[in-house]
Amino acid sequence: MGFGLLFGMGTLGLRFLQFLIPSPAAKRYEAVLIGSESRVPVGEAVPMDLGGQKILVLRTNDDVVAFSRRCTDLGCLVSWNKEREQFVCPCHRGVFDKTGRNIAGPPPRPLDRFEVVKRGGQLYVNIAST
Amino acid sequence: MTSQTQITAAEGPARKNWVDYIQKDLPEHLDWWPYTLGAIPLTLFGLLVASGLLLTFYYVPSPDKAYESVERITHEVYLGWFVRGVHKFSVDLMILFLFFHVIRVFVTRAYVTPGELKWVTGSVVLLVTLGMGFTGYSLVYDNVSYWGMTVVTNMLGTLPIVGQPLLYLLRGGEEVSGGTLLRLYDLHTKLLPVLLGVLVIGHVVVVRLLGFTEVKGSRRFHSFYPEHTLMMGAIAAGLLVLIVDLVMIFPPTLGPPADPQEVASDVSPPWYFSAPYMWITLLPGPVALWSLLGAVGLFIVYPFLDRTLSERGWPMTAVNAAVGTAAVLLVVVLMVLDTRM
Repeated sequence: MGFGLLFGMGTLGLRFLQFLIPSPAAKRYEAVLIGSESRVPVGEAVPMDLGGQKILVLRTNDDVVAFSRRCTDLGCLVSWNKEREQFVCPCHRGVFDKTGRNIAGPPPRPLDRFEVVKRGGQLYVNIAST
Repeated sequence: MTSQTQITAAEGPARKNWVDYIQKDLPEHLDWWPYTLGAIPLTLFGLLVASGLLLTFYYVPSPDKAYESVERITHEVYLGWFVRGVHKFSVDLMILFLFFHVIRVFVTRAYVTPGELKWVTGSVVLLVTLGMGFTGYSLVYDNVSYWGMTVVTNMLGTLPIVGQPLLYLLRGGEEVSGGTLLRLYDLHTKLLPVLLGVLVIGHVVVVRLLGFTEVKGSRRFHSFYPEHTLMMGAIAAGLLVLIVDLVMIFPPTLGPPADPQEVASDVSPPWYFSAPYMWITLLPGPVALWSLLGAVGLFIVYPFLDRTLSERGWPMTAVNAAVGTAAVLLVVVLMVLDTRM
């Protein structure tokens, strides 16, 4: 009887937890137009919010790349430091180089990177939105 | 350590009802200052409930209105600043005195057999109180509290297995949103206070059932009422005066509103989270998290570890004095570092 009661209470508790924990929303992948290349000056990183995704679009001499602003440590937002050519997180002093690689501080992995596609002089960023 | 047997109060007439039980005589050392440190947080908890209840009359738990409502409480509502200040200082002092209480119990080894349950219930009280501190701090919804909420929930999300469900449970989704604020509000004003109330009562009952630790020089007993009650009343009155003074001298302030697009220039948490915050700043994420979790786990089960080591002949009084001093020093150094970085 004790086991039955425990099993019943456990099952009920589990269902209750399921009610409280929402399921992750399905992600949709889409290419979002961010404008022409000239919108991002060389050596600068422009912050943008694309469907809730906070990104930084960086233009180097060779390429245009987009990184998530979310620090891979604990989710604060990184900023671009033009002089040092690094992404810096103010919360726990995490540092990433211009390729997004974690080079100092507590971040355990590089910044998430999004694909940037150039079509007819316009730039598109492939993002996953909910 | 000398004798650590438990005092089972003076032999009295057969217990008939709960009044007789409460009236059981108490050892005199409970009126000595270091031994009143447990009763002080209890008094402050009462003050927190009262001031928190008043704040709920004006606070609005929605991202659009939360900051505005705190601003209104602070600057417009008659004595709103005072009630908010009392609430803030009560939690600061409650946590401070809980730390003092823990240090006293740790150093005097007041948890030795059969007092393990006293320590375990007390340590859960401390953890839930810190949880109350975190949820309350998040409700202010200024930029520092917003990013503090983001960082702490992310940190919990990195825990193995339970991390992601816990993150979704706290945030109500993947990101910090209006749902997160509502959940933290519910935790802060409903679930955690009830849990804390039950735990505090449980802790006091366990202490009464298991008896008080014997303290050298504490020979006499006195009654709970009126002697002990009067002493506690005097402490409560003194605390109230102290808190009123603190609120007058340091009225509550409010930073700029939450901005999800820009991290606050200084995201340092309140002082009681300052040491773990610096710990996770200085060490790589997984090392910092696991060491913190390990320390919390060790903290809760410490009486059992003490028992095992004592049986093997370790001088636990000296060990506790060394461990306690090292822990306090580490916390102080980390707190100082946080103020300088």
